[in-house]
Amino acid sequence: MEEKELVELAKQGDRKALAKLVKDNEQTVYNFAFKICRDREKAENIMQETFLSMVKHINQFDGNSKLSTWLYRIVSNHCLMQARKEKNKYFVSINEDNEDDLYEDKYVADWSRIPHLDVENNELKKILDQSIDKLAPDYRVVFLLRDVEGLSTEETAKATDLSIPAVKSRLHRARAFLRKELNEAFSR
Amino acid sequence: MSKENPNCKEVMQHICESLGEDLNSEKCVAIKHHLDNCSGCQSYFKTVELTIDLYKKYNVQLPEDAHKRLMSFLNLSDCDE
Repeated sequence: MEEKELVELAKQGDRKALAKLVKDNEQTVYNFAFKICRDREKAENIMQETFLSMVKHINQFDGNSKLSTWLYRIVSNHCLMQARKEKNKYFVSINEDNEDDLYEDKYVADWSRIPHLDVENNELKKILDQSIDKLAPDYRVVFLLRDVEGLSTEETAKATDLSIPAVKSRLHRARAFLRKELNEAFSR
Repeated sequence: MSKENPNCKEVMQHICESLGEDLNSEKCVAIKHHLDNCSGCQSYFKTVELTIDLYKKYNVQLPEDAHKRLMSFLNLSDCDE
């Protein structure tokens, strides 16, 4: 059955259709939540809260986009709320004063030596986790939605309630920040 | 523009459009000259691509018990086939 039909049935209270929608999207939601918070337990909690919101508000879904696009918006909100609760956590702030540093390398790493196809390598996973963990969550969400999940700039703007220029600006800063972090880690 | 294999003109057009510049504007011509000769910029673009690729490939699988907990949390366990 097509997603549109399932959504219509779910709106009419069909629990089986609702369960199917959850099953069809749970992997995407869990994976995305993990990519933002880099913690399996938190990712599971966020996934549960996201689907609870979906179940409660399915009637508000207008069907003009894919359900997953709407879910990305809900997950992003839950992840940002979660991050705001962790007030003691320090993130590197990127502003006009220090932006130039992102484009200047103290070290030049030879990226061709990195086992970039093997992300099962635990050392590499640690580097990826630690690098993105330093990036402020509102930048992280934009990078992950646009570059990693492949949403369009417009969809990313909609999911994050940002203007298109704001998405573009956060995206290129986030890319530059992560690239620099990896470059430094690979130089060690 | 072909996504797979854009030619140099298409790349320049894309960069210059983002800047709100005409292809033959002074700024665009200067950028093209810079890109042709700057190994730093070339390496920057290559490594940004690799960065994105690494984060794309690093995925986690939803464990079966987490799926069960989710269905139970939503009171949908009886609909889980």
